Amino acid sequence: MYTTYDVFDDVVNLRNLVDRFFTEAPAVRRNVEYPYVNLRENNDEVVITALLPGVGVDSLNIQLIDNSLVLEGEKKSDVQDKPYIRKERVFGRFQKAVRLPYRVDGDKIEAGLKDGILTIRLAKAEEARPKKIEIR
Amino acid sequence: MANEVKKMKRDAYNCEECVIVPPADIYETAEEFVIRADMPGTRRENLDITLEKNQLDIYGRLDEELMNEENLKYGEYRVHNYHRTFVVGDGIDREKINATLENGVLTLTLPKSEKLKPRKIEIKAEA
Repeated sequence: MYTTYDVFDDVVNLRNLVDRFFTEAPAVRRNVEYPYVNLRENNDEVVITALLPGVGVDSLNIQLIDNSLVLEGEKKSDVQDKPYIRKERVFGRFQKAVRLPYRVDGDKIEAGLKDGILTIRLAKAEEARPKKIEIR
Repeated sequence: MANEVKKMKRDAYNCEECVIVPPADIYETAEEFVIRADMPGTRRENLDITLEKNQLDIYGRLDEELMNEENLKYGEYRVHNYHRTFVVGDGIDREKINATLENGVLTLTLPKSEKLKPRKIEIKAEA
């Protein structure tokens, strides 16, 4: 196949390169401990989500210790021992404690893993819920 | 100037047409190339993979619900649509490219075309 050299191709490529620098964000943040978590608060519950692509339910262990939620597990390598061309993903064991802003009810915790995102719903403990104070 | 560029780069996490570049591994076996990319939150029906000329585009759209940051108290990550482009060579059998998505990990297998596969060369005996 023959292609003719066009100097404008290089100019357009350079422009695309600069555009991409400002619209593409990396997924990996090196200064944050793995896995990355977000914590949201709804009325009576605290919702924690964590990005765990490629981690199976059986290699994940979630514990509530005192006032922290501990995520522990292993992301097993799915790249066979073959010559690689590019290696950007990380594998290995991880353990991370997330400090909860409220006391939670240990019996009412739901966790689900879907499409590589872990969602844990924790109900606030009775004493952490807002109380209305009567004025006499 | 440097600070302005840094700020614009930070904004790349938070704009309409912005995308996240998923980390990917590529390895090679005798029969095929395999690309694995971490794309948490992507569902099968929201994933577009196109091969045009020699450019392989992977585009994963995310549900609005996942990008919702209402009531966020503490955040370490932002999810957004994923986009990544690879340039593939001529030695790929384009008809047999296969993709699977499991637990947020995309696996793309690109079989090498027949003429690139290793083959044993028979040595003919001298007549």
